[in-house]
Amino acid sequence: MVSNLRNTLEYLAGERDEAPEFLSGRFELVVRCAVWALAILLIYAFCGQSSKFIYIDF
Amino acid sequence: MAWAEIAAYLIFNTFSYYFLFLVPAAALFRVAPQRLRPWIIVLFGGGFFLYFAYGMAGWWGAACLLIFLWESVISRLYRPSSRWCMLGIIQSVVLLGIFKYWNFFTGLIFHHGVNPLRWQGAFLPLGISFFTFEFYHYAWDRRAGKTEAGTLGEYLAFILFFPTMVAGPIKRYQDFLPKLRAEPMGWDGDWERGITRILVGLVKKFAVADLLTAWTDHLNAHDILVADRRILPFWALAYGIKIYTDFSGYSDIAIGSARLFGIRVPENFDWPYGRRNIQRFWQCWHISLTRWLMDYVYIPLGGSRVSKPRIYANIIAVMLVSGLWHGAGLNFVVWGLWHGLLLAGHRFWRQLRPVASNQPQVVLLSRVLTFVLVNAGWPFFCMDLHTAILFYRRLLAG
Repeated sequence: MVSNLRNTLEYLAGERDEAPEFLSGRFELVVRCAVWALAILLIYAFCGQSSKFIYIDF
Repeated sequence: MAWAEIAAYLIFNTFSYYFLFLVPAAALFRVAPQRLRPWIIVLFGGGFFLYFAYGMAGWWGAACLLIFLWESVISRLYRPSSRWCMLGIIQSVVLLGIFKYWNFFTGLIFHHGVNPLRWQGAFLPLGISFFTFEFYHYAWDRRAGKTEAGTLGEYLAFILFFPTMVAGPIKRYQDFLPKLRAEPMGWDGDWERGITRILVGLVKKFAVADLLTAWTDHLNAHDILVADRRILPFWALAYGIKIYTDFSGYSDIAIGSARLFGIRVPENFDWPYGRRNIQRFWQCWHISLTRWLMDYVYIPLGGSRVSKPRIYANIIAVMLVSGLWHGAGLNFVVWGLWHGLLLAGHRFWRQLRPVASNQPQVVLLSRVLTFVLVNAGWPFFCMDLHTAILFYRRLLAG
């Protein structure tokens, strides 16, 4: 179960190419669009306070 | 936007990165004929470096593009077993030493008084800690005959590939070259996955890492002195989550950006905080750095093929190098030493108990213990040595 959850999260985050079985098919496009919409919403909501990335100073 | 602002809101969270560099470069790269593709990366990579390095350190910062050009010229002389490779290795280390460690080491020599050798206008060229490792790797592997030379354009494209230039993931030439030469496949798949990765990276940065700044900003001497000591572990924990989401978010954007070109670069993180021992943690945290340190520091020192005391010394030496690489400060040395001791301690434990228990309680306990020990090291990473010691004195002694 943990491994399925992990695979799903990695797919949703763009790390994996293959969708988990329960997401593949017609549903897949809806999920992809929902991920983009949610991400854009969160970026828009929080982007005003951004600071530079820590590792750029290294 | 003013240059100073660009420097403050650096690179992956600026519109200029996406619309001046990434999208046009990736689109052109995909439609261009094969022989021109490396030069598209070189052109945009050079422009990227000039634009952001000027924003950070003015003309001197921008002039550091000459380092790349010089390195690419010298690299054409590298041959298996050649002295030119040794020169390349030495010059990359010397350059890093001058720019990053000059004031630190001369400061240690003259620590009782004014440092007459202090470089007043010292600055760090954009991405030097990372591109140095790629220069070093290429020279070392050419010397060992482990990689082909490639053309000048291909080598320049490798070192000026801007999605990974500033903070990794640290690439290997032998992995990069076939991807550079291959015909990019499937715009739609690569761009959908790449943009998803970039968006998720930005969410990690904006909605988690930056939000935690409200807590991590308290990690300074004044706030530590006046705070209720019970809050201190939460500040350290907040930093642990912040640095993970900040750097893994950065890596997501870099990997996603590379994907727009159709080029896959190494992964940097694999759920490090859930690991059950410190060795597994380091195999899953900043993976490209860990592999670099294994291949170019640990193994040349003898790795695990030497006597037991030497193995422990090698492990600690590698982590000291890792600490010092992260920053020119005694706090980073202590942070590296902490992880070196943890890794050596884990190795010793494995010799006493070669088979790990699979009991659920033991597994859970070991995961929690690893998480706590890693987080216990972060105060030395994010504060200078005196402040980190003050943090622990307040935490443990009140």
